[in-house]
Amino acid sequence: MDFNIYNGLMMGVLLLVASAIVIPLFARHRKLAGGLNFVVCLVAGVIFTGVACQVLTGAAAPATFDLHLGGWAVPLMIDGVSAVFMALISLMAAVTAFYCVGYMEMDHYRHYSLRGFFFCYPVFVAGMIGIVTVDDLTTGFTIAWQMMTIASFFLIRFDHHDKVIVRSANKYLLLMELAWVAILAVGLMVPGCTWGSSLHQIAGQLGLVDPGLRTLLLALTLLGFGMKAGMFPLGQLWLPDAHSVAPSPISAMLSGVMIKTGIYGILRTLFWMTPDNMPTQELQHWGMVVALVGVVTLFIGTSQAVKQVDAKRLHAYSSIGQIGYIIMAIGCARYFLGPEVGLHALALLALFGALCHTLNHAVFKGLLFLCTGSVQYTTGTKDLDKLGGLFGLMPVTAVVAGIAAIAVSGVPAFSGFTSKWAIVGSALLSGKAVGIFVIFGIIALVTSAMTLATYVKFYGMTFTSVGVEWNEKNDIHEVSASMLAPKLLLAAVCLVQGLFPFLFVQLFGRVLATSESAMTRVLGTPEMLSSLAQSYAGVTFRLGDSPVAFSLPLVMIAMLVVALLFALWLRKAGGAEERTAPVWLCGYQTLNSANRYLSSHIFDAFKKFTKWTGGNVRGA
Amino acid sequence: MSPMPELLMGILLVIANLVLFLALAPFFDGIVRRVMARVQSRQGPPLAQSYYDLLKLLGKENIDSTGILPFRLAPLVAFASMLCVIAILPVAGRATALTPYADAISLVYLLTLGGVAVLLGAFASKNIYALIGASREMTTMIMVEPILFMILMMGVLKTGSLDLTAVIYGTPSAGFGWPGVVMIVVSLFALQAFVARQPFDIAEAEQELLGGPFIEYSGPNYALFKYYMMLKQMFYAYLPIAMFVPLIHSGYFIADLAVQMLLTALVFLLIGLLSATHPRYRIDQAIRYFAVLFVIALCAIGAAVIF
Repeated sequence: MDFNIYNGLMMGVLLLVASAIVIPLFARHRKLAGGLNFVVCLVAGVIFTGVACQVLTGAAAPATFDLHLGGWAVPLMIDGVSAVFMALISLMAAVTAFYCVGYMEMDHYRHYSLRGFFFCYPVFVAGMIGIVTVDDLTTGFTIAWQMMTIASFFLIRFDHHDKVIVRSANKYLLLMELAWVAILAVGLMVPGCTWGSSLHQIAGQLGLVDPGLRTLLLALTLLGFGMKAGMFPLGQLWLPDAHSVAPSPISAMLSGVMIKTGIYGILRTLFWMTPDNMPTQELQHWGMVVALVGVVTLFIGTSQAVKQVDAKRLHAYSSIGQIGYIIMAIGCARYFLGPEVGLHALALLALFGALCHTLNHAVFKGLLFLCTGSVQYTTGTKDLDKLGGLFGLMPVTAVVAGIAAIAVSGVPAFSGFTSKWAIVGSALLSGKAVGIFVIFGIIALVTSAMTLATYVKFYGMTFTSVGVEWNEKNDIHEVSASMLAPKLLLAAVCLVQGLFPFLFVQLFGRVLATSESAMTRVLGTPEMLSSLAQSYAGVTFRLGDSPVAFSLPLVMIAMLVVALLFALWLRKAGGAEERTAPVWLCGYQTLNSANRYLSSHIFDAFKKFTKWTGGNVRGA
Repeated sequence: MSPMPELLMGILLVIANLVLFLALAPFFDGIVRRVMARVQSRQGPPLAQSYYDLLKLLGKENIDSTGILPFRLAPLVAFASMLCVIAILPVAGRATALTPYADAISLVYLLTLGGVAVLLGAFASKNIYALIGASREMTTMIMVEPILFMILMMGVLKTGSLDLTAVIYGTPSAGFGWPGVVMIVVSLFALQAFVARQPFDIAEAEQELLGGPFIEYSGPNYALFKYYMMLKQMFYAYLPIAMFVPLIHSGYFIADLAVQMLLTALVFLLIGLLSATHPRYRIDQAIRYFAVLFVIALCAIGAAVIF
């Protein structure tokens, strides 16, 4: 059986690599090449998902496997954690590939050859799959990281006639290579480890070395993966530039899944690379540091997002913020897994939140980038100062974007809610045991109000309000069905994620059962898992016997629907007539671009107040 | 008690909560209006004026200035979210049938949903004044909501639970110690901002923004928004009473409730007095004011964690 899953993995990766060589030959026929690319991504995705399902339904963590490439041995490991990330990458890769078919037809891209694009896309996907399946920090890691990084570099600089884009892409490449050097250095610096040493060996050796060196090595690893994930202050260096200049479907991949490989790395570092004999106090310090970095990341990232006027930069900064939530949850979980047994259940809640948010964020942020891509496709701009009033013109995109925007803001019964609930709840419930986490939780809650502000602005200035009438392009219409279908699919996934969090609980249980580390041994016990009680309506978290926190989206939505019906009845109750009449503008009968309230004016006082957080936009 | 009558009781309490809030909120609004008028040496409207306003608005023509869905949906969502908040609120210490399905975090997010709906409507209404109002409303929300949450947090820290009944009623008032006293002061200072009254009615600011987010709304849509504001006002006035003033435990639910409502009326008197005597802040001044409150509240939480 173990052979099978690695066989499947190899088959999928080879298929992607082969398609990278074959499809560019058809690049002249843009639609055909796009279609082929989608089919390949879909087939590979199905294979990977099959592997993931097989792993997750297994009884225990599958054995590792050494792949021999010439003289090099590459240790591979697919356990529950890898499986989740593999499935996520497969889903997003296939959906985005489908979107690419229509999107790359955009007027602006007409004069660009798609040869490079269709070479890089499958390599990029294969690289990401590689990152989450290799089990070393040297040979296999280098191959996977370079495939991912170099392919994504060329995808980002697709629009290479623009100097700004090329500069952003170069910066991205440089920083990612630095991250690679940092992690590779760790792999080689650990005494007794060399090319192709597995993570397990590295952890074992780390248990023997001097604590000072160990701290340095762990710090370097976290720095490397943190760079990819967008951790403060490293994320700010490349993420907003790279994500905003790439073609939108690529941005969706970068923000949705690529930065999650950084999260994967952090997770592996903190829970797999730490030796069993490491003093718990040292581990708790790491947890504290990571949680602190997470809080800073989420606060700074989101407060910078509020200020943005470019829609894609706004999403990019918000990605940093959302990643901050995940990093914070991972750090909290690491801390809670200390000697105090009472806190272990909170570690379970925090990690559940991290897993949930990783999956949720991938879907809703991907969706937001695709929606912004559609807006850019049809209006030719992503500048919020120029957009506005698209609801009537592209209703489907508007509704889909609305679902994603509500989800990212964490409105109850939508997908961001349960994950943020778990993350914030775990921090708050630590109470007196770890006072500082309560403060972290409160900051996280403040930040979620800022996320809301960010997305109210994005949605308001793009789809409602006015403005697009004065744009240079006048033939604005809804995008084609082939571009709507992937968005509708993701929107449906997003709704399901929001309404049925018990699916995540079950998934989380399987992940714990099919991975092997000190953490899963503690958290994977049935008694521990029972503290996350689940029902179809949602999730209840128990400490001891009494339930202390609940997230029940189905009840919530039922309640809201009943209340909405009542409100609707009340509105009709007076028998009032309805009439549509244009806005009265005090004599300025025709509103025009000169006298409207722009996106850069919104939250002006607040933007001035948070000037110190950086990411300011000139003139806004 | 067997589970069946308990459930029935719970459902009755949901309805009772809704009826209580829907019936009293306009009355309390009337108190504020009357107090403000008296301070300004005016006669003021009758106490029932807010009921008349709602009834009248419900019958008037509903003018849609944009013809898009968000504009029509916004008042419904705002009103509905507030009803949900009320339905889960354990008034006078009695958990309703819905209380076990929502915790303190859900409550905060539900309150936010109401704010979002107001903003959605404002953004949809193609009016500059509405946008200015929305921008201010959102800014206020970012600053004020954490303060509300920190008030609830006192209860979370003491009981180690996010369950609403435990959070709001689980701690005897003396149990809060001096951080509790600080928090009461903070909640009083934040009260005007919670209920969006002067000096913090920055978003509506009738004299300069002509009602801000609501400028394009009329008739039943506006009535729903008005009702939403009144309910929200009552919720925020009631919350510090519920949190910090002990129940009298007379043995009769009705008596406990009556005392709490009386105290809430007193809070409204205070709101009226403050509104009438304070000029409106500018938004940047308000932000600084909230920032100071935020820091004080955070210190109180910190102290509550340590002691």
